[in-house]
Amino acid sequence: MNVIEKDAAAIEVTTGNDVKNVLIVGVGGQGVIMVSKVLALICQDQGHNVKQSEVHGMAKRGGTVFSHVRFGEKVWSPTIPKGKADILLAMEWAEGLRWLNHLKKKTGTLIADTQHIVPPFACLDRTRGASSGYTTQLPGDILENLHDGYALDATGIATEIGNFRVSNTVLLGTLSAILDFPVEIWRKVISEMVPPATIDLNLKAFDAGRSWVEESRKVGKAPEAKPEKKAKKQAPAPKVDSKPVDKDFELVLTPEWCKGCDICVKVCPERCLILNAEHKVELSKPDACTGCRICEWLCPDFAIDVVKDATKTNQTSASA
Amino acid sequence: MDSSNSADSFNIRDYLRLEMFPHFLCPGCGHGIAMRALLWAVYELDIDKDKIAIVSGIGCSGRIGAYVDANTFHTTHGRPLAYATGLALARPDLHVIVITGDGDSLAIGGNHLIHACRRNLNMTCMMLNNEVYGMTGGQASPTTSETRYTTTSQSGSIEPVFDACALASAAGASFVGREVTVHTPNLKDLLRDALDHNGFSFVEVLSDCTEVFGRKNNLGESPEMILSQKSKMRPSSYGSANGNIVDEPFRPTTLPTGILTHKERAEYGDTYRAHVEKISGSVKNG
Repeated sequence: MNVIEKDAAAIEVTTGNDVKNVLIVGVGGQGVIMVSKVLALICQDQGHNVKQSEVHGMAKRGGTVFSHVRFGEKVWSPTIPKGKADILLAMEWAEGLRWLNHLKKKTGTLIADTQHIVPPFACLDRTRGASSGYTTQLPGDILENLHDGYALDATGIATEIGNFRVSNTVLLGTLSAILDFPVEIWRKVISEMVPPATIDLNLKAFDAGRSWVEESRKVGKAPEAKPEKKAKKQAPAPKVDSKPVDKDFELVLTPEWCKGCDICVKVCPERCLILNAEHKVELSKPDACTGCRICEWLCPDFAIDVVKDATKTNQTSASA
Repeated sequence: MDSSNSADSFNIRDYLRLEMFPHFLCPGCGHGIAMRALLWAVYELDIDKDKIAIVSGIGCSGRIGAYVDANTFHTTHGRPLAYATGLALARPDLHVIVITGDGDSLAIGGNHLIHACRRNLNMTCMMLNNEVYGMTGGQASPTTSETRYTTTSQSGSIEPVFDACALASAAGASFVGREVTVHTPNLKDLLRDALDHNGFSFVEVLSDCTEVFGRKNNLGESPEMILSQKSKMRPSSYGSANGNIVDEPFRPTTLPTGILTHKERAEYGDTYRAHVEKISGSVKNG
């Protein structure tokens, strides 16, 4: 029994089974903290003992953010150990998968937005058509192996309502259908939390998220019908990353015009240009060149040209 | 913008006098980048080369005209705007582009600049500001920053600097903008808008002089000088034009970039021709 398991066992002993664990994960800027605050306030209002803890700040906008909310008769530790979350609310698909091991294996519920936010680190290879490294696992495959799961295109729903930023409230609506709290208190707390100008929009989003669950439950009353219900409401399957395509451009150098000022060497993001022994520009790593044109723009001597091959461009666009 | 005139199909060689290359500018001189942006803007607007008249003064900037395959006119020091005024009045069908430097337009031709701005005649003036008289040996110009060393300010310049854009705007230019060479596509967009504008458009391009200015002032090699331009600029979209000076206390030495003045004023050529018609009509009637 390792340390984490021991801790988990200890928590179980001290808290009993009456503590509910909700783990909220997402990408910085999506409103993870807002969702967890709303949930914590509602739990408090309902007379529960609540502990909420989060990691934010270091993530900045675009990084990973998570928040633990634990509520029950008496909560001791503020964090949820691995495999002990009753509900995992993921605002981004890959973040949901990353935290999946925190979910209770037999009774856990996953609520996930199927939208993709590809982090900058996944795009290290800037070659045209290169794989982004984003997960290729589809919602259908994941939900099949879970006790209960809901994958919805919350961002799409929010965009339809009027602003993609309220996707977190859509997910709150979904969460409200699973947790056993009265609707009025959800609506009241959301109205208090969001900026006054957006109250109507947020309540609309909340209703949309809540009715989405009710509708999907109506469709799938029988447990065996579950996969269909999910398949019906799932977002369209994400595009599978294609293999790197042939380069549709060529870097044409004119060494006779080059004066060796070093600008192209220093500004190239791929570091694929060098000055040779004669102090003239040379392409040292042809495969690394992405044709971004920065060297072309900043060469004061017009010694670098990025020439697009129109035939190849047409081919790739036709095949895509 | 015509979709066929995309960045992919722009070939600068179509606009160059290839027999004159490589050009005479020093290694790492930003003037070449500004020249590319200008020709790119011309390409995007799909202007016929025969309909372009480039008038340039004396100096490194003045030599740009010699390399462009269009109607070019290399004039006297500080007076390209005076020549261009005559040309634009006589040939309103031409796109008159004046290429001038900081010393050329602000010191020697300062008078011509303010009166060209005042008249608002349809032409585009691209001023390449490299803070120094490069070609003549590195003398201090009206835009040489304080404390900078030049051949005529051996212990550091003590003169206050001209803000060329504020000057042009105050003198009445109907389109004033500023951009750095390192943001070439933005510079191209600005020059395109300036060329498209009916009236006097003034664009200040922050360029760099590595050989006689950067080296004397220990500003690094050309890549460092080019990239340091980024910290000198402050996009006008930050809102200082509306009185919002939220970032001024933190970066007081930066210059606003982008379109700084854009107003509609009577174009002098139109006024002039209408006036001539009116007078000649009254002479006939009388």
